[in-house]
Amino acid sequence: MTATTDTHAAAPHLGTGARARNTWATRTWTRYVVRRLGVFALSLWMLVTFAFAMIHLIPGDPVRAALGVNASPELVAARRAELHLDEPLLSQYVRYLGGLVSGDWGVSLQSRLPVTQVIAERLPNTLLLAGLTFVVTLLIALPIGTGMAVLTQHGRHRLLELGYTGIAMVVSAVPEFLMGVVLVYVFAVRMEVLPIAGNAGPGSVILPVAALSLGSALALSRIVRVELLSVLGRDFVRTARAKRLRPRRVYLRHALPNALTATITLGGLLLSGLIASTVIVESIFAWPGLGPTMVSSIITKDYPLMQAIVLIYGAMVLSINLVVDMVLSVLDPRSTIREA
Amino acid sequence: MPGSGGAGRRVSDTLRNPLAVAALLAGTLVLGTALLGPVIWGEAAETNDFTSLDQPASAAHPFGTDKLGRDILARVLVAARLSIGLAVAATAIGMVLGVLVGAVASMSGRRLRRFLAMMIGIAVAFPGLLLALFFAVIFGVGPRGAVLALGFAMAPGFARLTQTLAASVTSQDYVSAARALGVSRVRILVRHVLPNLAEPLIVNGTVAAGSALLAFAGLSYLGLGVQPPAYDWGRMLSEGLNSIYTNPSAALGPALAIVVSGLAFNFAGEFAAQTVGGRARVHRKVPAHVPADAGPRLSTSSDDAPGTVLSVRDLTVRIPTADGLIRPVRGVDLDLAPGEAVGVLGESGSGKSLTALAISRLTHDPVRVDAQRLTFDGMDLRGRLGATERTRLGTSLSMVFQDPMSSLNPTMRAGDQLAEVATEHQGSSWRDARARAVERLRAVRMSAAERRSRQLPHELSGGMRQRVMIAMGLMGDPRLIIADEPTTALDVTVQQQVLEVIQSTRERTGAALLLISHDISVVSSICDRVLVMYAGRVVEDLPVADLERARHPYTRALVEAVPTMQTPRDERLSSIPGRPPDPAALPTGCPFAPRCPRADTTCTIEPPLVRYAAGSGAVACHHPVEETS
Amino acid sequence: MTAALDFRDVTVTYGTGAQAVRAVDGVSLQVPAGSVVGLVGESGSGKSTLARAAIGMAPLTGGSITASGRPLPRRGRRPVQMVFQDPVAALDPRMSVRASLTEALGVAGAVPRREREAEVMRLLELVHLDPGLAGRMPAALSGGQRQRVSVARAIAARPEVIIADEITSALDVSVQGAMLNLIRDLRAEMDLSMLFISHNLAVVCYVCDVVAVMYLGKIVEVGPTAQLVADPQHPYTRLLLSTAPRVGASLADSSLPPQVQDTEPADPHAPPTGCRFHPRCPQGPAVVAGREICAQQDPAPGARDRPHQAACWFPGGPVDLPSPRPRDPQPAEAT
Ligand SMILES: Nc1ncnc2c1ncn2[C@@H]1O[C@H](COP(=O)(O)OP(=O)(O)OP(=O)(O)O)[C@@H](O)[C@H]1O
Ligand code: SF4
Ligand code: SF4
Ligand SMILES: [Mg+2]
Repeated sequence: MTATTDTHAAAPHLGTGARARNTWATRTWTRYVVRRLGVFALSLWMLVTFAFAMIHLIPGDPVRAALGVNASPELVAARRAELHLDEPLLSQYVRYLGGLVSGDWGVSLQSRLPVTQVIAERLPNTLLLAGLTFVVTLLIALPIGTGMAVLTQHGRHRLLELGYTGIAMVVSAVPEFLMGVVLVYVFAVRMEVLPIAGNAGPGSVILPVAALSLGSALALSRIVRVELLSVLGRDFVRTARAKRLRPRRVYLRHALPNALTATITLGGLLLSGLIASTVIVESIFAWPGLGPTMVSSIITKDYPLMQAIVLIYGAMVLSINLVVDMVLSVLDPRSTIREA
Repeated sequence: MPGSGGAGRRVSDTLRNPLAVAALLAGTLVLGTALLGPVIWGEAAETNDFTSLDQPASAAHPFGTDKLGRDILARVLVAARLSIGLAVAATAIGMVLGVLVGAVASMSGRRLRRFLAMMIGIAVAFPGLLLALFFAVIFGVGPRGAVLALGFAMAPGFARLTQTLAASVTSQDYVSAARALGVSRVRILVRHVLPNLAEPLIVNGTVAAGSALLAFAGLSYLGLGVQPPAYDWGRMLSEGLNSIYTNPSAALGPALAIVVSGLAFNFAGEFAAQTVGGRARVHRKVPAHVPADAGPRLSTSSDDAPGTVLSVRDLTVRIPTADGLIRPVRGVDLDLAPGEAVGVLGESGSGKSLTALAISRLTHDPVRVDAQRLTFDGMDLRGRLGATERTRLGTSLSMVFQDPMSSLNPTMRAGDQLAEVATEHQGSSWRDARARAVERLRAVRMSAAERRSRQLPHELSGGMRQRVMIAMGLMGDPRLIIADEPTTALDVTVQQQVLEVIQSTRERTGAALLLISHDISVVSSICDRVLVMYAGRVVEDLPVADLERARHPYTRALVEAVPTMQTPRDERLSSIPGRPPDPAALPTGCPFAPRCPRADTTCTIEPPLVRYAAGSGAVACHHPVEETS
Repeated sequence: MTAALDFRDVTVTYGTGAQAVRAVDGVSLQVPAGSVVGLVGESGSGKSTLARAAIGMAPLTGGSITASGRPLPRRGRRPVQMVFQDPVAALDPRMSVRASLTEALGVAGAVPRREREAEVMRLLELVHLDPGLAGRMPAALSGGQRQRVSVARAIAARPEVIIADEITSALDVSVQGAMLNLIRDLRAEMDLSMLFISHNLAVVCYVCDVVAVMYLGKIVEVGPTAQLVADPQHPYTRLLLSTAPRVGASLADSSLPPQVQDTEPADPHAPPTGCRFHPRCPQGPAVVAGREICAQQDPAPGARDRPHQAACWFPGGPVDLPSPRPRDPQPAEAT
């Protein structure tokens, strides 16, 4: 029997009802995507506005604060003019937005280099670090989490579970920068096998990536395990077992895909957390990324650079969230209904 | 009082967990140091020993000395107060701000609520450390700026938490009831919402304080937090890192302090959460060999049952729980002739579902199943199941569960969930298997079967999902259908449809049916015979037609407790006083004795044996109701 | 005589635009003082929404609700009280039985502060609970006991009418009977007015004087219990009656014509045109020739003039079907 006769045979009202339900589903999805993109645009706009407003929220005269009490009034006035701080707020805002779009992000107060140039130099290193870390994290977390879930389900292997959760909890509670200090001590100071800092060859990326990924990998593996365990306790797994499928098929085909939703959600959070952690880890390892630049720009009150970096980091986080939500909406259509 | 008893047990369970004890100890230690550190070691931390500058660890200075010859251990201990104090201050700011915004958001009108929720949602998406760095720009470098920055950075998280918690509390019926009473908004907030929010908020606050500690150390490390000459762990760390080659302990000392106190906060919070949520259960293993049942064999049913599709003798299920080993199923006997339909009736917790799962070998650790006999279609199901047994079970034993939504894999097309039976057990190709799945869906009268088979479960209605479950059993050649409350989750009219599908399936395949339900009318509409279960035992086995003439007092009461269309409106319903016995503390005699109007002293001492009566059924009662009454 | 609770043309809409659902659509229903009115219908038919509207928790998009002739007040003592389905969620887990009841007495303001403790004891006895339970927290009570406390709390507020929404469906079979007995006792002792909501027709018929049947947001039939059972007018009522709990009835007794045997309940987002029951109706256009009107025109407007206010173009007994229903397991689509 073919699909046409099949649909034809159904009572007419049912056919339309079901079709209505189907288009309703696609419509919910489209609506969700539009909504989500709207939220993204709004967040981006808020971020830009925040970056713009930052300089105006600083108590006192920001330029005087940046140049110090000894700076001549002429210099202060010149810098104020350069930053257009004397114009009406609205025209400053318009000028700022225009600059962002046209690629004129201002000039660093300290180095006098164009901000875009500084970012272009530094950003790739940060992206490299974050990307590598993310991949390593996943490669560690997924197998460990899955394996541990299978081994420790129904309260089996209590000792293994206790050991694993204990270690995972402790390691994932150690902040990345401390992990960095410990790794430096062990591998660079004691064993002298890896370079301590800077970006000098492929070896120098190992410690920063390890510092960033160890904790988050174990944290994510715990999440994978807990999710998988809860999925394994759900009714449809019992149904799968009632069909007497091979255990492998039960785990990989029935349980794992259903544990993915939560894993991706939390993985996304973890990834944006990673972006923040790179700031400190880069400082420890003197990695030539955006992190150390951000810190020094805050300390030296280099406003244009600071604004730009805030924008970049913020945009990274927002994009990650957007991608995660999009992936989820495709993998798990029900998530769009829940949201709407 | 049972309520506080439960909480007390949770606390003692938590205390039995070594990690929890460690967290508690570390927490006390850290707080103690923060309070007393500067008082005890304040002087040592400021004493310059110019004879030993920048020294590595030694007996006199366990963590060595710094550039000015001060003892690092003493400085770490003294720095505890500032480090922890600042973290707690930041957490307090974040919590107050967040709870305020969250409470306003949840109490305000629709527009404002949605707007605030969106703002909070956007802010929450940013990692805390990043937000703190953003705010550090505004509040400036230094401890005050850092505390404010961190506090502001933590606020969105607390706002979100407050909002979701408040939303879940206000959606509870007791808040609706209070509103219906006319209780004022403020009073509802104070009496009903806030008290139910306090616990999780405090738990989360503790965990957040731990993260704040770590974040603050990070900020100080970067030079954005505490400024010299004041010092906290973060600043000590960054100084120590400069001399990591000459004196690594200068960095490791503060690092250790940060980790230990961060962990202490985190774990204390986490275990508090587990205690509150009652998750920190200690599991105990079942001893491998325990006599199946301490009492005598309870039934007198004949031991050979030829020509049965299912034959069960002395089925016992044991489960270790926090209250000790329980036996929710105790010595069940059961024979099913081919094509026979048998119902299992009983209250919630009487062991109906466990019996079904035990028979079909779907229980798992730590549940233990024992039986003197468990044969299905000539196969002994005790012991390990080999590949052939698996295949035969997969094709000839069909299961239907109560909740068709949760019983189907939400991420797999309905048709594929059927088809995989054929690919797994019958070596079909996916193409053939899918075609057969569609055909089987038609057999359960699924409309538009072809299209439905390509849909996900959430796109089907409840009745359709249950049809899918039934069709799943039809992929092979079912000898027995075990259906556990197959219609309970459905509307009456749909219930009827599903029962009819089960019935016609049975007629066509000749399969036997074991139908579990608490609903007498469901059982009586489709079954030939009924087993009534109470406290893990079959107390009566009788033909459906005799239900209203049941001899066991419990069956009687059960039939009379629920009105049917035939119940006269002027007659009181019978009610059974008390509750079913706690499986962890079963009475020695008849388990029904405390609730039974016919009980006497024999009943409380001696468990009644199952007695078969001439002609029809069996009853386990010392004083069965006689026909004349 | 004014009714204790009077719904007039009540409409409640959830959501907006394409997702809008008319959960309750032009419902008129009276609960006369001193009587128990039952409301049956399947899940999603709008029973609970109607109940929530009466306690002011679902905004009306049309019509009005009055209690003893007065509109529902927005503050102070409320004339309509409700008992909920879920015994676990119905009581604040942090308030003792006494605190819950005292709060209700306080709002009602009918009992002076000094006498509240005595009143709590009286209320507990009224719902057949041991007054010694007053100090208990909800966690230390069984489901049946909690439901009784909820009933006592509702009575404490001195309402004109109590709405009981599926109060027995979450309870164990052995305690359901006791709960229903309690409702009947209360009615006899204190002249209670009540709207009793349930999906179980047998339960409704057992406790109620009048029964209303709801389908997809509309009331399709109302009548005194005995008459409704003996002489149902609407085909949906007949369907409910034939599937209602009955010991000893076999499945075949309630079989439907094959044309509608396997039809699915309608999607509330897109209710069928005309009579909303027509795709499933055993006496409707899918089964009986010449009844196209069912699919085209809503029978509701003329309902008042028909027996039992039946919202049906062809009320009364079933028509003689052309041939006995074949018991054919093969689906209709296979032809
Ligand atoms: N995994 C488990 N761990 C601990 N106790 C359990 C477990 N599974 C079941 N029990 C207990 O065993 C007893 C019987 O449970 P079972 O689910 O068989 O009852 P039931 O008759 O099916 O009840 P219902 O009508 O509610 O479905 C109950 O006291 C239950 O609490
Ligand atoms: S044995 Fe005794 S207590 Fe048990 S059901 Fe029979 S009469 Fe009642
Ligand atoms: S109006 Fe027609 S379709 Fe509706 S209930 Fe009456 S007979 Fe059935
Ligand atoms: Mg069960």
